[in-house]
Amino acid sequence: MSTTLDLHSHSEASEDSRAPLEAYLNWLKLRRAERPVDGIVLTEHRQFNQDADYRALEDKFGMLVLKASEVETDYGHVLVFGVSAAMTQRFDFANVRLPAQEVIDEVARMGGVAVPCHPGRPNVGLCEHYTKKPPLQNVVAVEVLNGGSRKGEDERSESLVQQYGYRAVGGSDSHLVSLIGLCATRFAADIRTTEDLVRELRTGAYEPVDFRPRRKPVVQAVAVEVK
Amino acid sequence: MPDNKSDLNYETVQIGDALGPQEFHLSKDQVRAYAKTTGMWVPRFTDDEAARKEGLPGMITPGNMSLAILSKLVTDWIGTSGAQLVRMGTTYRQPVMPDHTLTLQGFVTHKNESNHTAEMDIWLENEDGERLVIGTATVHFPR
Amino acid sequence: MAVDYDPALIGRVFETTDPVPVSAEMIAKFCAAIGETNPLHTDAERAKKGPYGGLTAPPAFAVTFRNGQHFFQHVPRYGKQGFDAGKDVEFAGPIRPGDAVTLSSHVKEIYEKTGRTGSMVFVIVRTTLTNQKGEVVAHIDHRFMNRP
Repeated sequence: MSTTLDLHSHSEASEDSRAPLEAYLNWLKLRRAERPVDGIVLTEHRQFNQDADYRALEDKFGMLVLKASEVETDYGHVLVFGVSAAMTQRFDFANVRLPAQEVIDEVARMGGVAVPCHPGRPNVGLCEHYTKKPPLQNVVAVEVLNGGSRKGEDERSESLVQQYGYRAVGGSDSHLVSLIGLCATRFAADIRTTEDLVRELRTGAYEPVDFRPRRKPVVQAVAVEVK
Repeated sequence: MPDNKSDLNYETVQIGDALGPQEFHLSKDQVRAYAKTTGMWVPRFTDDEAARKEGLPGMITPGNMSLAILSKLVTDWIGTSGAQLVRMGTTYRQPVMPDHTLTLQGFVTHKNESNHTAEMDIWLENEDGERLVIGTATVHFPR
Repeated sequence: MAVDYDPALIGRVFETTDPVPVSAEMIAKFCAAIGETNPLHTDAERAKKGPYGGLTAPPAFAVTFRNGQHFFQHVPRYGKQGFDAGKDVEFAGPIRPGDAVTLSSHVKEIYEKTGRTGSMVFVIVRTTLTNQKGEVVAHIDHRFMNRP
């Protein structure tokens, strides 16, 4: 009984998204055939809403909605799964220069898991930082497939995985409703809660999955002289 | 040219409806014409060599022009239905280089009954499918 | 760790222009530059039958005012470069030839984040456009990206 989750998404709670959660879930229902995703994880920028309860929407759409966060560190951006109140007291999630090694280790100690995201992206991805600084210890997985990546960035992330033996996840990084679920992670196990997710990320079987349509080549719209 | 969509109304708009895709070739002359008429006649929007000296790959399209082009995707879709574009937001992700074929695309993503509006995602992409400018728009339908 | 700025900046109007006249020629050239052919914006005769009873500028025309000579003089800066990262516009009313539009700006928000080009401080400036009758025609939120 596998579970496919979009592990990286931003709703209107993130300053650079206007996507309401309900619209995301409705879009996934609409596009189920091309993006067979069982649920999403909201990874809002630099914040975590302890009190937000999405059970009504989960029931309405028959999908799983989990909460996590995307924080910013001295080694780039990191997705934090299994955020607890204690974690938000230990780290100021609004700080754009959190110490990455401490985040990875303390989050693990506190029952969560921190996953560096879009490692192939300039400035805010691991790859570039690894060219200047020692590699981080105790990294479990990195986000190899990111829906917002530009040419070459995911390939750079792949080589990181080869070199360090990291596990690989995927997420859409969507900030627009229509881009939800285009990239995701397929877990072998059944996931129903954040605890399940953290356990599976640490020790389970999973792989990134890409639901983006193959692009048709765009014909150059230039006038051609007809002889 | 806007469509004659006098039957487009709040009830007939469906979530998932597409705007475009519209493909067009954005020329350097068009960018220069925009720069001239809007008081933006500066090197980065008018001259390749000068733009390169500023560290750009060549002359680029003003952000406002991309916004205007995307707003036209929405107003073309609205056509003669009497609906109004009431809000639009854009994020400039990458410079838009002229002399390229650009594709404008959008999707209706949700509706708001109390405001009688529809929300849509809109974006502009290059030949590689990279979304250079992304955003959303709100269209209000008369009751 | 927040950006160091004076909280009194937020909400305080830092710049207002004199009324900027809008001519039919400006609207026509704008339409030509973006390929706009909708008669509501290009044909005064046919526009009389439109929702506003006369020719109006396309909505995006509202965003052209803060360029050139009316560009911001006093936007607070936080380091080098004031990059235009994007805009959010509320279109409140039509702009017609013969109108005179006044622009008034205040800082709405300041925050820091990191992205593929590095560390950035965002200064969100809201400009309100008002016509000669005192009607608000648009609000524009400009997202300026600064490098600390």
